[in-house]
Amino acid sequence: MMYQHSCDAGEFFASDHLFTSSIASGFKRVFTRLTISSTFFLTMFLLHSGESISADHRIEMIGEQTADGLLAYRMVEHHVNGVNITSRYSPHATIPGPTIVLTEGDKVRLTIRNAITITPDQQVSVHVHGVHYTILSDGSLKVINKIEDEGAYPDHGGRFYTYLWDVAPGTAGTWPYHDHNYETHNGSEDKGLYGAVIVNPASGMVAASNGGSITSLPISHIKKDYVLYMSDDAFWGMEIDGVSKKQTWLGVNPLLTAKRDDNIRFHLIAMGTYLNRFQLGGYQWIDPGTTKMINTKDIGPLEKHVFTIKASDSAQYLNANFSRKLMGMKGSFNVNAGH
Amino acid sequence: MSNNILGFKQKVATTAMTFALLAALVLAPSMARAATHDINLSAEVLPNGQFGYKRGDRPAVIPGPTLFVKQGDTVNITVINNTGKPAGFKVPGLSNTSAAKAGPGGTISYSFNASKTGAHPYLGDGQELLGLFGAIVVDSVDGKVERYVDGDGAIKSVKASELDKQYVLFMVGSTFWGTEISKTGTQTPLWTNPVLGAVEEDIVRFHILSAGPGHTFHLHAHRWFEPGTNSIIDVKLMADGSDGHTFTLKAGTGVGPGHWQYHCHLFSHMEAGMHGSFRVDANKGSKKGPGNSVAGASPHGAIFGNASDDPGLVTFVISDEPASWYRSARADTIFKITGGTRSLEVIPPGSSVNFIMAETNTVHTMTSLLWPSGADDPINGHHAKQHSNHGNHGNHDKGRGRGRDKAKSEHASMPFDQSRAYKGGGIVKLTTPGLYVFTCKVHPYMFGAVIVDDPATDGLDLGESIDLATGIVNLPTSSDLATRLLRIFFIATAPNNWQDFTSTTPWKVTYPSVPVRITGGAVANLSDVLIARYGNDIALTPPIAPAIPGVGEVWVDTQFEKTAGKTKPGTITVVDASTWKPARKIALPQINMNNPHNMWTNRDQSVVYQTQWFDNKLTMINKKTGALIKNIQVGEAPAHVMTRPDNDDITVTNNGEDGMSMIPAGTTEVARMMPTQKAGQPATNPHGHWISVDGNQALAVTPNIFTSDVGFYDINSGGILERTPTGDSAPGAHPIAIGMMPDASKFYAANLLHHSVSVINKDGTLKKTINLIADYNPIDGTIVDRDSDGQATVGMLPIQLPVSPDGRAVVVANMGQSIIVIDTATDKVAKMLPCDAGCHGANFGAKKGGGYYAYVTSKFSNELIVVDADPNNDGDLSDAMIAGRVSLVSDGNTQTDDRISSLAGYGGQGVLAIPNVYNSWVKNLPGEWKDQLTPAQQNASRN
Repeated sequence: MMYQHSCDAGEFFASDHLFTSSIASGFKRVFTRLTISSTFFLTMFLLHSGESISADHRIEMIGEQTADGLLAYRMVEHHVNGVNITSRYSPHATIPGPTIVLTEGDKVRLTIRNAITITPDQQVSVHVHGVHYTILSDGSLKVINKIEDEGAYPDHGGRFYTYLWDVAPGTAGTWPYHDHNYETHNGSEDKGLYGAVIVNPASGMVAASNGGSITSLPISHIKKDYVLYMSDDAFWGMEIDGVSKKQTWLGVNPLLTAKRDDNIRFHLIAMGTYLNRFQLGGYQWIDPGTTKMINTKDIGPLEKHVFTIKASDSAQYLNANFSRKLMGMKGSFNVNAGH
Repeated sequence: MSNNILGFKQKVATTAMTFALLAALVLAPSMARAATHDINLSAEVLPNGQFGYKRGDRPAVIPGPTLFVKQGDTVNITVINNTGKPAGFKVPGLSNTSAAKAGPGGTISYSFNASKTGAHPYLGDGQELLGLFGAIVVDSVDGKVERYVDGDGAIKSVKASELDKQYVLFMVGSTFWGTEISKTGTQTPLWTNPVLGAVEEDIVRFHILSAGPGHTFHLHAHRWFEPGTNSIIDVKLMADGSDGHTFTLKAGTGVGPGHWQYHCHLFSHMEAGMHGSFRVDANKGSKKGPGNSVAGASPHGAIFGNASDDPGLVTFVISDEPASWYRSARADTIFKITGGTRSLEVIPPGSSVNFIMAETNTVHTMTSLLWPSGADDPINGHHAKQHSNHGNHGNHDKGRGRGRDKAKSEHASMPFDQSRAYKGGGIVKLTTPGLYVFTCKVHPYMFGAVIVDDPATDGLDLGESIDLATGIVNLPTSSDLATRLLRIFFIATAPNNWQDFTSTTPWKVTYPSVPVRITGGAVANLSDVLIARYGNDIALTPPIAPAIPGVGEVWVDTQFEKTAGKTKPGTITVVDASTWKPARKIALPQINMNNPHNMWTNRDQSVVYQTQWFDNKLTMINKKTGALIKNIQVGEAPAHVMTRPDNDDITVTNNGEDGMSMIPAGTTEVARMMPTQKAGQPATNPHGHWISVDGNQALAVTPNIFTSDVGFYDINSGGILERTPTGDSAPGAHPIAIGMMPDASKFYAANLLHHSVSVINKDGTLKKTINLIADYNPIDGTIVDRDSDGQATVGMLPIQLPVSPDGRAVVVANMGQSIIVIDTATDKVAKMLPCDAGCHGANFGAKKGGGYYAYVTSKFSNELIVVDADPNNDGDLSDAMIAGRVSLVSDGNTQTDDRISSLAGYGGQGVLAIPNVYNSWVKNLPGEWKDQLTPAQQNASRN
């Protein structure tokens, strides 16, 4: 059987607002044929259903083509504890894809669909970094995971694949997600099928720098999150408003803006073949997990680098790699006086 | 082929042993005295020609023996070099000193203090990428190793004694090299891309190390600490040069058992096969597993001449050295059998091919040019494979496009390819018997061939039929096209097979005299077949200079000529067009000029710009004296350089990257790179461009090799105006050079692997595709007038194709030893002329007294061919002829800046006539040059 672990249309969609019991039965059905313990995952998934602090996310995304022949993810629906937050996202497929904001302790059920019309049909998957999942949610091909092709074929009649993520304690951080199955077992992250997951710590606090000093800051004090993917030839940006949580796609080498004294969190992730050197002129920030201040950071493909600063002066961000800088991998961070 | 199954995990360690180990760990620091280690290693040659370190009576291994010491210890290492190459020794993570290289049989003594904890590479300086690397693990004296994060987020400290196993994984080229270290300290080599086994909840310590170009290490579904921080990561940058990274984890914690992939996360390295599996077995229940590891292909395994039950590995060293671009690591021992080529290997099915870019200064790809039909079959096919009956031009239903319908196939499947050129290497397992040829998309005459031979059949298996990267499928190995390509391979990769026009002995090509199995199971002697088809001992006539002199000088990139004062090949040969003698050789030993490929001049013809194609440099040379002015970094694998006729700005195509470097006139620094594709789109890797400035529009037209199209760009704005697919949209048509009509009304693009010329209008619309092999039957090799144009012509593997300054003729240099003259009035082939082996470059210069010469170079000969496309200047090109041939070998009167040491006069590629008489440029010539031209030559476009 070709698609034994994905369901046919009508049987299950994230948008069906399924309750825990039907999720369980749905997955029981999917998992019964598997060689690994289904109870393991079900236990993991159900354990937290009664806890009030952990949110339950139902997400549906779809892979699409863009006008420039690239591939991209689009958010179809995102419900948190039954509340529809889809309006936070761009209605279009974007590069980077939708930023999925989670908190340690959350549970995610993510369904991927595939609307790519290029022939022959290829799978689109979501392979996520950082959070917990069993081998069935690896988002890889059977040639890699030895069990199943864990992605969605194009949507003729409703193919999809569903992943379960346990955003367990210890997974706080910003992580990439990307395709692993399109065309080959390497997938097509290089064609645009990538995005970011932000797992905020359960403590609700992040380290931030203010000039040369280090502070601890409630996440609610962050005015803006900037997700900046360093692809081989450009920064691709996404902005998330700290209050409305609205996500704005910024495009290539974007102009970033802030008001003076705003707390801004940068999420850098690299992707591609080049090794990058990130700089934000005149700023220093905390080297993650330390109390050391740095002003430059080497970032290799799929590494992440997250820091929070207090905006003071306008600056240029850039990739100092010789040829990448000449290719125009840079942009402005404009800081305005504010009120 | 049986795999090397390692011993089962010992779940129950004896209490006594554990205690003893613990006691040792505890006692050491309490004694408060650092230990001194005296370690003896030797560097040895392995059966596949790679090198490995040996300690004691155990076999030499890659990585070398893992050395465990404690922080503060003193380490004295003695290394005996039993390889044939000089090798040094260094431990960059612990010491700033590098031991001087020891020659064969020499000994090195090296001492250092183990001051920093962690895993540090030790490297046999100079030969580290061939296998002379290993890990020194410096442990903390308190017996603690790195903390891990448990599935519930708890942070657990770990003592070394609590480790179930350790892995050393070296990332070198695009290959992982592994060793397992058991709880008791037993080291077991796991070789390449192994399956690392563990049981759920095992405490496993990983030592990730690297040598050479950088990587990022990623392991699926596991997290660990960035050492020295509280940062939790799952991807780690391994910096260029060498690096080490150690972490501890609990296998499967929070995620359960599974085949969890580990891989480098550089996309090209992923495509080059750089991955393996961390297999976490269940620790209970019916699926409970042993947690054993499985070794990968090994230098001690089964390859031609080395019988073994284990999968073997042959290694090609990727090099800037002429002919040895893919050099088998054991070439010195087998090249006598292979007829002189060092780029042919033979393995049984199931063994692997390893590539390592160890001796090159720029980026490459390891790309399948051809492979046995069926080697690309998906293992779990989702789509039915479509086959057409045999090779002809029209079958483009599949090809080297990434994956196509192969998404589910093993990484061993063909075609092997990478989207971007890169530094590193590659590894691919070959299972289908037959012939495989690999090339570099950037430098498409770099060839490496592998015969996968089924030992059960007679003769070496070339296979029933082959598929080609351009979409030709099921081409019989007995066909003319197949054997012609083989012949080109044997000529290109063996300098003893090149044409020497200074010698009186006939041109002899030596092929391997071995029985091969071809179409229909027929077994024939390969050498006999090739000689029967293409002859041998062919008399070469000495060069005869053209009767009419040319104007000025002809600068030829003799790209393969070697000189004594530098390690890299290549000179510029300056031919005096009035005497037809090589007046000067420019080698530039002070900058180790590397593979000079193409040239242009500034407006007043005082400075020659020279690209170094196997490097990242553009060199500025004083035209009058041949002296170096400046050597500047421009981008990887710079191919062609051309000025803007309006302002003299310099434009360079970065063939290894995705844009063109722009250097404002009078400066010596790249101001910007102009992207040749939109952000995020596949890299174009442009090669031989042309520039047109007309009024306000400044146009760069580039042949985009990796994307098989011609790009039209507005240089002023950087705007992408048009991307025109070429070669009937064949996959890998490989457009490589552009020619332009003097009035920019039409552009010509040579499609190297599609054997065609695309004619494109200025607005980017495709006007016509001229099939240069229309008269050729690829099966029987006959060349007859099949396209009814009144003549039988063939232009196989076209490269450069300039349009004459008067706009009448396109002269196409074809690697398949012919020159094709195209009439621009009809865009039809007007004439075919013979050319030398590896025919490559072409450019026009002024003929004295009027008219033009096309100067044509050949890589595998040492002469320059002078073509007169229209001798009587009547516009009818049917009398196009070879006006003469000029030796590129220096004589007693040739001025040189370095002593020619070998390959004299070879490697002809870029060629430039000075003065530059192309329209637009001719108008800006200084008076001293203009005075030597006829009025018609000074106003070329009016013709």
